[in-house]
Amino acid sequence: MKYVIIGGSAAGVNAAEVLRKNDKKCDITLISEEESLLYSRCLLTYLIAGSIGEEKLYFKDRDFYKANKIKTYLGKKAISIDRKKKEMLLDDETKVLYDKLLIATGASAKTVDIKGADKRGVFTVRNIEDARRIIKMLDKVKHVVVLGGGLIGLKDAYALRVKGKEVTVVVRSQHVLSQMVDPEAATIIAGKLAASGIKIETCVAAKEIKGKGAIEEVVLDNGKTIKCELVIIGKGVEPNVEIAKKSGLKVDQGITVNQYLETSDENIFAAGDVAETRDIARGTPRVNALWPCAVAQGRVAAFNMLGKKQIYEGSLSMNSVDFFGLASISMGITKPKEGGSEIINATRGENYKKFILKNNIIVGMVLVGDISAAGVISVLIKRKIDVSSIKDMLYEDSFNYAKMLPLVRKFKDKFSEEEFRDTVISYKL
Amino acid sequence: MKRHEKRSYDPASQKMIQKAEKENIEIVWDRYDAMQPQCGFGELGICCKICNMGPCRIDPFGDGPQTGICGASKDTIVARNLVRMIASGAAAHSDHGRDIAHALLLAADGEAHDYHLKGTEKLKRTAQVYGIDTKGKSTEKIGKELGEKCLAEFGQQHGELRLLSLAPKKRQEIWRKLGIAPRGIDREIVEIMHRTHIGVDNDYKNVINHGMRAALGDGWGGSMIATELSDILFGSPEPIRATVNLGTLKKDHVNIVVHGHEPTLSDVVTDAVKDPELLALAKKYGAKGINLVGMCCTANEILMRHGLPSAGNFLQQELAILTGSVELMMVDVQCIMPALSSVANCFHTKLVTTSPKCKFPGVEHVEFKEEKALEIAKNIIRKGVENYKNRVQQRVDIPKEIKGLVAGFTTENAFRILGGKYRFTVRPLNDAIISGRLRGAAGVVGCNNPNIKHDWAHVEMVKELLRNDVLVVQTGCSAIACAKAGLLTPESAYEYAGVGLREVCEAVGIPPVLHVGSCVDNSRILLILSAVVAEGGLGEDISDLPAAGAAPEWMSEKAISIGFYFVGSGVYTVFGTPQPVMGSENVTNYITNEIEHTMGGKFAFEADPIKAAHMMIKHIDKKRKALKLGEVMYKEKTATVKK
Amino acid sequence: MKTKTKNIKIYCDITKCIGCRSCEMACAVEHSKSKNIYNALKEKPLPKKRVKAESSGKIIISLHCQHCQDAPCITACMSGALSKDEKTGATIQDKEKCVGCWMCVMACPFGAIVRDVENHIAVKCDLCPDRDDYACVVACPTGALFAGTEEEFRKRIEEKKAKEK
Repeated sequence: MKYVIIGGSAAGVNAAEVLRKNDKKCDITLISEEESLLYSRCLLTYLIAGSIGEEKLYFKDRDFYKANKIKTYLGKKAISIDRKKKEMLLDDETKVLYDKLLIATGASAKTVDIKGADKRGVFTVRNIEDARRIIKMLDKVKHVVVLGGGLIGLKDAYALRVKGKEVTVVVRSQHVLSQMVDPEAATIIAGKLAASGIKIETCVAAKEIKGKGAIEEVVLDNGKTIKCELVIIGKGVEPNVEIAKKSGLKVDQGITVNQYLETSDENIFAAGDVAETRDIARGTPRVNALWPCAVAQGRVAAFNMLGKKQIYEGSLSMNSVDFFGLASISMGITKPKEGGSEIINATRGENYKKFILKNNIIVGMVLVGDISAAGVISVLIKRKIDVSSIKDMLYEDSFNYAKMLPLVRKFKDKFSEEEFRDTVISYKL
Repeated sequence: MKRHEKRSYDPASQKMIQKAEKENIEIVWDRYDAMQPQCGFGELGICCKICNMGPCRIDPFGDGPQTGICGASKDTIVARNLVRMIASGAAAHSDHGRDIAHALLLAADGEAHDYHLKGTEKLKRTAQVYGIDTKGKSTEKIGKELGEKCLAEFGQQHGELRLLSLAPKKRQEIWRKLGIAPRGIDREIVEIMHRTHIGVDNDYKNVINHGMRAALGDGWGGSMIATELSDILFGSPEPIRATVNLGTLKKDHVNIVVHGHEPTLSDVVTDAVKDPELLALAKKYGAKGINLVGMCCTANEILMRHGLPSAGNFLQQELAILTGSVELMMVDVQCIMPALSSVANCFHTKLVTTSPKCKFPGVEHVEFKEEKALEIAKNIIRKGVENYKNRVQQRVDIPKEIKGLVAGFTTENAFRILGGKYRFTVRPLNDAIISGRLRGAAGVVGCNNPNIKHDWAHVEMVKELLRNDVLVVQTGCSAIACAKAGLLTPESAYEYAGVGLREVCEAVGIPPVLHVGSCVDNSRILLILSAVVAEGGLGEDISDLPAAGAAPEWMSEKAISIGFYFVGSGVYTVFGTPQPVMGSENVTNYITNEIEHTMGGKFAFEADPIKAAHMMIKHIDKKRKALKLGEVMYKEKTATVKK
Repeated sequence: MKTKTKNIKIYCDITKCIGCRSCEMACAVEHSKSKNIYNALKEKPLPKKRVKAESSGKIIISLHCQHCQDAPCITACMSGALSKDEKTGATIQDKEKCVGCWMCVMACPFGAIVRDVENHIAVKCDLCPDRDDYACVVACPTGALFAGTEEEFRKRIEEKKAKEK
């Protein structure tokens, strides 16, 4: 069997690992546009902040490909797929044959379409090269403008503030992290950022990036100008679907897949930031471009490529950030649009908890400050557990696994794994 | 249910709990939650730290060690720990009594010139009990002799405490037969410490019986001295109308809270706040006046004697500060949470300690001395008045909840009123019980504890008792809880009392719940019970009476001591959560069962207040039957009304 | 040092745990530099425990990392710090790689991964690599904690039940 994987990040590498583990003899080929080996792009802002060195970016051993006998085309781009011939063409005109193909091309940073966006000193932070270039010029930079108040923008801003830069975040929405959390949580998080010296401008957008050669300032659509030597575009990502589109696969926001992560072509699978999977909380297809989803999808896709049918349980939007010691986690639906949902929340200083329930099933949560119960809640969300018996305890700081023990005992089929069963072996009522 | 609704039954408290949450101020319930789970060894009483071979712990499941390193069994360990709690509780009450006796002496000597012996009638009666010849002697002379005699009883080494003679004869005989009539107040406490030292008493029954002896020295000694001498010094309470709850704090006044237990300071503070100069100063700072309110048992002392408002009970001490309206809180001793200083730091509130026995790091200490009582009181009030300018009005949220109540009942006056004549008789009470109009009587007392919803157990238990024609007497934080729920008004008889109880209340115009004072005033309940026995028709001993006691939200060591002197006086006493004895079946069985054969009283543990009320009712009915009394008059109409 | 064998983890007999937190204390001491309670208390930052006695009313459980077969924390870990020990099946952590992103905290269904805020890393039960036995199990005064395989623990519980009958 010939297995080919396009993409060398979370989904691609995990898929390769599963393939090799389960089939010692098959041919595995991995194609990646990036030459750097197996690094975690989520850690790039940690690198910029100086809290880790470059060596910590690598999430697999350097000899991973060799040890797993994976043939690689690094620094190469796949440009087309001939689905009939089951053959791919790379940008150096190499042809690669496959029996089963995994598209794990990931996503690219969104850019902005404003005057001056092409100037030197305007960056996105998507790959290791971006990070290296930013780090290189940091000595000469005093002021930074970050365009975008989402998770990516704020992580960029945080990293640069840690490096002592004067950072201004330009946010189009009314509050930061508008995709991730509700206004209450956003206010607490923004407060923490502001207290640490990050300036946040909301309800505005950048109109132009000015400067002769090097950047000098950003002009906002309210007429205000902000002096800066570096502009970071932190606007989120969009799936790299070109090759899928070109080869006629069904594509919506991302590549459409079924519960086996199979695309509209039975020999082609998709996983990671490029795949549009069923969102557990929402019940509709969605691209959840997140590391844990990519890892899980890569692994499930690999099993299905091997012919060992495995259903992907679905993805869940979830994020964890920590700014200056203030941790925040969000999961699922945080700002329910339609009615019919029940909201439980509690605030205590910098601690904020919010749970969104539908028919006594948690579909979303926001935790700021005390995040210790996040994992326990996450399993209640993922497994759609009726929490009516413990609803009154959810928001308590003391909420923990012990509180859901009766549910683990009651819903045997929903907690069938050995590790859950193990905790109730001695539990009798 | 929202967090604040789970924590307290009282709407005013709920509001302040919400405020604490909003402003991120840590209060007792947060600390309670953070403490979960609590150590089972401590809860079961099977951890011993008495000597340095330890700490030792007994495995309650039987697999691990079953004795301490010294060989002490779980029975010994549990019993020793328990009686050490009695020692502390009895010491606290009795030391309070000692301070009052000391103040009485100073007042009689003229050294504490701000005090006057107001309760002359009681002075004479008590002097007689102590065998003092009062003929031709001045009040001061009698007071001095009585003060000396009482003080001597703390260090007395042999004989018996004089006040034991107020108990029914049969009860006294039981104590003597068992060898547990207390010889001296301090002596029995000291002896607990000796007996529980490594390698002394390890017969758990012997240990507990001695604990009982020390507890009796509290109830019939230290506490009773505290009550009786307070009545002599500050005057016996008389029924009086007052108000209760956080709504007694005033938005436009300087608010002074007196918190703690002893009335020596709080009683003169009631005079100090009337000082024209201080009132003028308050006006100068823009306040309309000085509003003095009490907290915990100090509140009960000034409530009983002066009708001053009570801002709340034990779990409301932090909440009062959270209103943002308290200029000054002065504290003396007992049940004062160390957390007060950090809560006060979140507001302008000034915390002042006054007793050399109770200081807080970093908190201003103005030491109270009886000799300069009023001057010191004024000095402290002045600090409060001057702090008014620092109040941030925007942070002031005073819950509107305020309830009226009638307090001020005593052994002597409660049934004088019942009798409708100005003489000391409990005949009408006995008659009401004998006729079955009243089922019996219950004392519901004790603390608050975050392990049970604040006030809930007190209020629900008392309502259930009232419904079943049980007259309730109360003290301490329990009385305040029920006052906040409106149970301490004559009108409440119409809403809550069974038919028979309502008839009695209507006839004499008393509330169905009688507030008899602070926690040392539990001694009043002992004396009421003794008076009922003496009146005749209901047996020869307290243990014959259709009566029961309860401490549904207990938390302090004082509560243990109180429980033991009630059981030791023949009263069936129900505690909410168990005492830390459950690690020893033998000790548990002894105090909840076996001890009844010798003492006539015993403990029970039941956290559900309704169930507990019915255990009390069952006991009362058992006693009625033993006395061959008829059925309760209005049986069918007083069945439990489900809420 | 004894090599710890396959599929061992710490089990808690809920009927025997009385919430004394001896396991928590022993765990913190075991993960201190000095491994001595008095000195551990002086260490800065203070050693962090990885086990927690948790309660829900009368139910108390001393909860440890369950070393899940398909561990959600490993899936969530974006720095490669968490992985499976192929030999023992234990979920192990390379502290050097942890960046403190709390993705594992977000993913662990047991809440068994805790934040070490001072060192900005996540910490979890590591099955006491510095000793042959397990600090919490040794410290447990009621025998509620047990280190072994699922089979062994189940047998132990069944034997206990049989004895009670």
